[in-house]
Amino acid sequence: MAVRRPTRPRFVLLLLVLTAGTIITLGYRTQANGYVGKLKGYASDVFTPVQTGVLDVFRPVGNFFKGAFEYGSLRRQNAALKAELGAARRAGVTAADQQRELQTLTQLEKLPFAPSLHQIAAEVVDTGFGNYQLTLELNRGTSAGVQVGMPVTSGEGLVGRVVQSNRSTSTVLLVTDPSSSIGVRDGSVIGVAAGQGLGQALRVDYIFPPAKVKKHDVMVTSGLQGGLFPPGIPVGRISRVSDHTGDLQEDIEIQPVVDVNSLEFVDVLVWEPPSTVPGSG
Amino acid sequence: MTAAVGERRFNAVARSRVLLALFIAVVLQLSLGAGVRIFGVHPDLLLLVAVAGGLVGGDERGAMVGFVAGLMADLFLQAPFGLSAMSFTIIGFAAGIFSGTILRASWPLVMAGAAVASAAGEILYALLGAGLGQSQMLSDHLGPIVGVVAVLNGILALLVVPVMRWAIFPDTEGRAGRAGRAGRRRW
Repeated sequence: MAVRRPTRPRFVLLLLVLTAGTIITLGYRTQANGYVGKLKGYASDVFTPVQTGVLDVFRPVGNFFKGAFEYGSLRRQNAALKAELGAARRAGVTAADQQRELQTLTQLEKLPFAPSLHQIAAEVVDTGFGNYQLTLELNRGTSAGVQVGMPVTSGEGLVGRVVQSNRSTSTVLLVTDPSSSIGVRDGSVIGVAAGQGLGQALRVDYIFPPAKVKKHDVMVTSGLQGGLFPPGIPVGRISRVSDHTGDLQEDIEIQPVVDVNSLEFVDVLVWEPPSTVPGSG
Repeated sequence: MTAAVGERRFNAVARSRVLLALFIAVVLQLSLGAGVRIFGVHPDLLLLVAVAGGLVGGDERGAMVGFVAGLMADLFLQAPFGLSAMSFTIIGFAAGIFSGTILRASWPLVMAGAAVASAAGEILYALLGAGLGQSQMLSDHLGPIVGVVAVLNGILALLVVPVMRWAIFPDTEGRAGRAGRAGRRRW
């Protein structure tokens, strides 16, 4: 006699999958400001205090793994930093003059760059929950004035932008995340820098040959991309320029100026992107 | 028949214990995410809880544990809300299909089962995500994610599977007795 497999488990599976599908649909329709955003906010408020306490316990474990698996790269980084330190000392002699020149130019041209924006200092408390999104968790949220869309910078340049803001925490999507795209320029050359994943350079698209860019140039935010980022924030240094004759666009990559793996503190720029909706004023 | 259906359901104690296990998994995931990263990838504890729920409790319980675990994961991810719930539900159910075999297996097979199911879970998550417009989930980084999560979850299964057995079967003495009488369970 054949043994019949019970139908109830399959019914439960179907019911749960359909429920998940409904939740996905509702989440898409309501976006970040709807019930999903609120739920995430409540969850963050509940778990953050516990997480902070546990983090202190687990930090040595994390440092052990980091040291064990990144020993080679840390050695190379140490050597590179020593070389950079020597160069920085030499450059420091002329830096003061250049700083005065920059301040004068900024005042003259009224560039809306970071010095003219209010900044909210925040501490990086986590490097993100999942493996598919490159994000940072900050210890500042809506109670400190952090809102979705605000750019996040460090001393070196652009880190990313806020994609989720809860009462006491916020989530930053890093420039290296594959879903991140940033309008960049080098002089008069304008393109879009797209993230390619952890530890990878950013690919710059839509720069048509012949482009007047060269290796080691620093590309900054263009401010054009519907004003998502204020102009002039350093994004990355050009690490590859390949000019293939006949190509429709230049093959350019930039290495982020910010080492997102070693960030402890960042600044959230209080920047409200101008509306891109036509006719909205 | 009634007894068979009753065995598939959670009683109040089991529900409480499963929720407690999930709460602890979220806290550890939030903490481990900051620390234990191997090649940029960290273990996926909530996926492992779903897999372990299936391996221990069977298909129906696996689907239920997977659904709740996925919803909890979705609260902290910047991906379509419900994506983890859907993929973890399916993986929890699939792991549960092999529950009978695994329960009578030695611990290396339990680890291998958890590793394979975790790898399948990551691939399913990325495929469903790509289907929902998140095409970046199918990047070159998927290989390391699948490999590292499979290995780490396989190792951590040694801890999580017994915890889920404790959670799903509060009457562990009775269950151990049945398994002991069968003389087959060796882990």
